[in-house]
Amino acid sequence: MNDAACDLLDEYLAKARSGERAALASLVRAHQRTVYSLALRMLGTRDLAEDLTQDVFMQLNGNLSAIESNRHLGFWLRQVTTNRAIDQLRRRSRVQLTSLDEEPELFCAEDGADPLLQRHLRALLSDLSPQARAVLLLRYQEDLDPMDIARTLDMPINTVKSHLKRSLETMREKTGGATLRCEDQPT
Amino acid sequence: MNHDIESGMRSALRPLAPSEEFSQQLLARVAADPQARQKSYGLMPRIARPLAWWLATSLAACLVLAVGVERHLEQQRSQQSGLEARREVLQALRVTSQKLNLAYEAVKSESTSLPDEKPGD
Repeated sequence: MNDAACDLLDEYLAKARSGERAALASLVRAHQRTVYSLALRMLGTRDLAEDLTQDVFMQLNGNLSAIESNRHLGFWLRQVTTNRAIDQLRRRSRVQLTSLDEEPELFCAEDGADPLLQRHLRALLSDLSPQARAVLLLRYQEDLDPMDIARTLDMPINTVKSHLKRSLETMREKTGGATLRCEDQPT
Repeated sequence: MNHDIESGMRSALRPLAPSEEFSQQLLARVAADPQARQKSYGLMPRIARPLAWWLATSLAACLVLAVGVERHLEQQRSQQSGLEARREVLQALRVTSQKLNLAYEAVKSESTSLPDEKPGD
């Protein structure tokens, strides 16, 4: 996000705090992808992800006065979403955790990545513990560095690094190191 | 090798947008949420909030103190009335005892002043 966009969102935040509904709607629009994607990939189903997304934004609505900037808002949303998702996963069994197939299928994307491998990686992600899954999502979906992940999940940085290392090793073993690209696939 | 997995993860985990229908519902619900902004403080200025908190805490403390003092006074009152009742009972026993002593003395003196009755008289 560039500086101008950040400034604009800071402005929306100030207006939302003073009660301007349109500014609040703009903030929701700007951050809903992050919250929804985290919720979907943590919980595994679209219904649960939509419920969680809604709950998180409702909670934000009541806590706007505590949010200092757009950057803080992003941190707050990621923290609340992952923590609530981890709590939900702890409360229920693993019955619904393998349904990441609800994600729309990605055909050979512009980066040439293999859609089958992507699907396999997402399925492997759903086999991880809730904490490890949250760490990977914050690292590879949200592009946070380990220090920010540790702050978001209130976890020691060494635990974050160890989750990353172990999860990637597991995934590498289970994919057999295969990272086919579109151009490598037989036609 | 990890680099390949990492780039694969980045591709697999690109953020997804929710459906347009859900997005519209979400915006409508958030905008209509009555709890928006400073929940219980309503329109109270930010600077007045600590004061309001202290005021509420002081009132609660005063209430607890008043209830405690009232209970203590009530206990003292009931103790006082108990002592009063005890004093009255002791006084009544003392009076009764004096009366009985007098009666006993009267009976005793009367029995000693009577002449001895001789059998066959």
